[in-house]
Amino acid sequence: MTNTVSSASDSVGKVNRETYLKHLLTQAAAAADESHLGLKALRDRAIALVNERSFPSGKDEEWRFTDLSQMLEQPFQRAQPVSVEADSWSDHLNLLTEGACLTTINGHYEPTLSRKADQTADAVIIGPLSQLLKHPDYAKKLAPILESKLAQVKGGSEVFTALNTVGFADVMVVWVQADQVVDTPIYIARGSQGGFLSQVRSLVIAERHAKFTLVESFFGQDEDTNAQCSVDQDRVDQAKIQDTRCNNSVTEIWLAEGAQINHIRVQDESASTFHLAKTAVDQAANSQYQCTAVDLGAKLSRHHIEVYQSGPQTDTKMYGLSALGDRQLADTHSLLALTYPHGSATQIQKNIVDDRAHCVFNGKVYVSTAAQLTDASQLNRNLMLSTKARVDTKPELDIVADNVKCAHGATVSQLQADEVFYLQSRGISAEQAQRLLLYGFGMEVVEKISVPALKTALSTRLRDWAS
Amino acid sequence: MSSSVQSVVSQPYKYGFVTDIEADSLPRGLSEDVVRAISAKKEEPQFMLDFRLKAYRRWLEMEEPSWPNVKYPPIDYNEIVYYSAPKQAESKLGSLDEVDPALLDTFDKLGISINEQKRLANVAVDVVFDSVSIATTFKKDLAKHGVIFCSISEALKEHPELVQKYLGTVVPVGDNYFTALNSAVFSDGSFVYLPKGVKCPMDLSTYFRINNGDSGQFERTLIVAEEGSSVTYLEGCTAPMYDSNQLHAAVVELVALDNAEIKYSTVQNWFAGDENGKGGIYNFVTKRGLCKGVNSKISWTQVETGSAITWKYPSCVLAGDNSVGEFYSVALTNNYQQADTGTKMVHVGKNTRSTIISKGISAGKSKNSYRGLVKVNPKAEGARNYSQCDSMLLGDTSNANTFPYIQVQNSSAQVEHEASTSKIGEDQLFYFAQRGISPEDAVSMIISGFCRDVFNELPMEFAAEADKLLSLKLENSVG
Repeated sequence: MTNTVSSASDSVGKVNRETYLKHLLTQAAAAADESHLGLKALRDRAIALVNERSFPSGKDEEWRFTDLSQMLEQPFQRAQPVSVEADSWSDHLNLLTEGACLTTINGHYEPTLSRKADQTADAVIIGPLSQLLKHPDYAKKLAPILESKLAQVKGGSEVFTALNTVGFADVMVVWVQADQVVDTPIYIARGSQGGFLSQVRSLVIAERHAKFTLVESFFGQDEDTNAQCSVDQDRVDQAKIQDTRCNNSVTEIWLAEGAQINHIRVQDESASTFHLAKTAVDQAANSQYQCTAVDLGAKLSRHHIEVYQSGPQTDTKMYGLSALGDRQLADTHSLLALTYPHGSATQIQKNIVDDRAHCVFNGKVYVSTAAQLTDASQLNRNLMLSTKARVDTKPELDIVADNVKCAHGATVSQLQADEVFYLQSRGISAEQAQRLLLYGFGMEVVEKISVPALKTALSTRLRDWAS
Repeated sequence: MSSSVQSVVSQPYKYGFVTDIEADSLPRGLSEDVVRAISAKKEEPQFMLDFRLKAYRRWLEMEEPSWPNVKYPPIDYNEIVYYSAPKQAESKLGSLDEVDPALLDTFDKLGISINEQKRLANVAVDVVFDSVSIATTFKKDLAKHGVIFCSISEALKEHPELVQKYLGTVVPVGDNYFTALNSAVFSDGSFVYLPKGVKCPMDLSTYFRINNGDSGQFERTLIVAEEGSSVTYLEGCTAPMYDSNQLHAAVVELVALDNAEIKYSTVQNWFAGDENGKGGIYNFVTKRGLCKGVNSKISWTQVETGSAITWKYPSCVLAGDNSVGEFYSVALTNNYQQADTGTKMVHVGKNTRSTIISKGISAGKSKNSYRGLVKVNPKAEGARNYSQCDSMLLGDTSNANTFPYIQVQNSSAQVEHEASTSKIGEDQLFYFAQRGISPEDAVSMIISGFCRDVFNELPMEFAAEADKLLSLKLENSVG
């Protein structure tokens, strides 16, 4: 538990990190100017925050196991709107064929790839902020919401969250009015191509007793995939560097009293992507929030999910699955802050790590004095499939109230030999048995997905992955 | 929480008396001269002085750790007396009869019999008072078996080659801020050496007492178990009540070679400060065992009830194949006590196994954290770990935390961690009341049951003491 970073190399790293963060900040500020959204006060506050922070290093407890130093080699420029070929994105977009769909490419709204909501426009306000503000009625309605909700969930001072606030190009707004039940899932699709820093932002609000399903999906395209096969090595490397990108995503979710959101999050970025994401949730009394997050892609991905209570008797469920191979790294950081009585929370995070992949989990559960009669449980299970794989996990409990039930567990192992043997004794080959067990391990999370089309797609994905 | 439980957990500290005894102390403060003076006073060989000076220079460059989940005002390291010895112990004692009667009285009050004739239990004791070891019992009996058990200053004179070979090999000088400090200024401690194949005929024990109000205690314990040997070692500590905080920064190193076994038990009852959090010992201790040989085993058992602040992670480095590490802990905090304690199990060898059982009880406004690390290195094929940490909260102003780190780099490893929190329910107390058992007895029984897994690991004499200690904390109860 001691720091062994030598001071000499550290001071060099520090300079790099500082200038790098300055570079990102400049890019973000420029993106903000180009967005014409206004929001100057908000942006200025965030700039001040970023200036107070430093680019994370291994010395920061929160980033001990997730090394961002490879990012320093990438002088990302802010993403610009690009011309889009609809066909090339159809695989990802056809995942969901009904319900409203907001598509952005590199953070810029793409109307040709989006769909309107079925409901009347007043009951469910869905759209990019840049467009909604052009509509005088909405602009008026949205003003107080932007004031009180945008970038207002706690935890906004984290460096990448603040950076996102400085420079998001647009905000995808999902605002479901009181007592509205939306049957079809609301889909926010985040595509990216080229090597940029794109900062995407969503603001999701469920008013009193509203109920809906939110699907967020992140995916990417490597521009020169075909070219790479034919040209010489130098150009391939060049193309790869160009395609390395950084997606910094922030989703803020507000649940008013009695609201219910079923949130599904699929991260399937292309292999050269740095994916940094924050999901910040505020739950008022009697609200129910469920998040099912599946991480499959990206070179390095970090999902930081934070749930705060603003009323008693909330129900929170967090399910997560990471399936990694090659040299991928996936980091799930969760914070569950229970500050009101009678809250209940369940968390299951499952990780499968193959090849030289590295999986990080840090799950924090905080129970304050006021949060009596809390019932929280957390389970983290890791399967290691290769000798070079690595798992770092840290489930944390911080409890002040006495009348609570809190438990957590963590396991790391490979597939159980006796389980494989059991299946073999029933005539299933060892290989098949292994596949079956892996599939079963992952399906426990995938099964929580309530959208049939998505569940099928992901279970197929998982089956392919396992074989 | 019911008022009965509240009153049950508060009890006075009965070891808080001061022994008025002439002491020979160095002036306050730390400098190279002080380090040299300590070394000179103890007539140490040159390598020891070099070791100390190296440590001191390292310490100057280091920073006090800020990551523990504890809060305290900055320590002024120049206000501490780094060496304090009862005057009489200066000249080497021929026998116990020469020990200052005031000292013997002190230890009689503590219930430690250093008078061999009056012994009840078959335990050899090394007694450390402030900075020096004042007596070691049963040395002759042990010597017959080839076991060396003496104070570390004596060992430096009589067996310098053994000390030189092992000192600082498990806990390097610059391991952390407090080990560097300890390495520079440690004044005494115990040394145990078990030759090949010897099962130690009796339990060994050290008793630590801080008497001087301004002195820190920096003791150093080194236990070396050669091939096939085994030993059980017990450690106890108390201090008088002072308004000021005293620093205790100890280092314990254990080395177990092939097939050797070391069982190390601690009952820590330093003065914890008063109910307002004034005074008490800062207990910043580094304990680490190295399972160097194959099939070796190191087992830590600790009952932590005292100290204003505890910062302590008895660890095992499982280097030898098939070696075993165990950690059993009960940490009870009350009032304004803060404890950040746990263990590190580092799996290096093949088929190494470790078990962690930690029980935390927090009452009053105290803060009790479990911080543990289970690390499986890439080559540790077939490593196995089971960890369980349970917390019990008495009252809604106390704080229980767990920070378990699990780092696995070998796929054949199997690591399990479980944690839970609970409280003593009104229904449980009611159930006992129905059966005619008073609330204080009920609480005592529930806590005793909660800690059972750990107490079972303590040697007989200590299990009795630990049970007594916890029930003492539960004295004066009817509310």
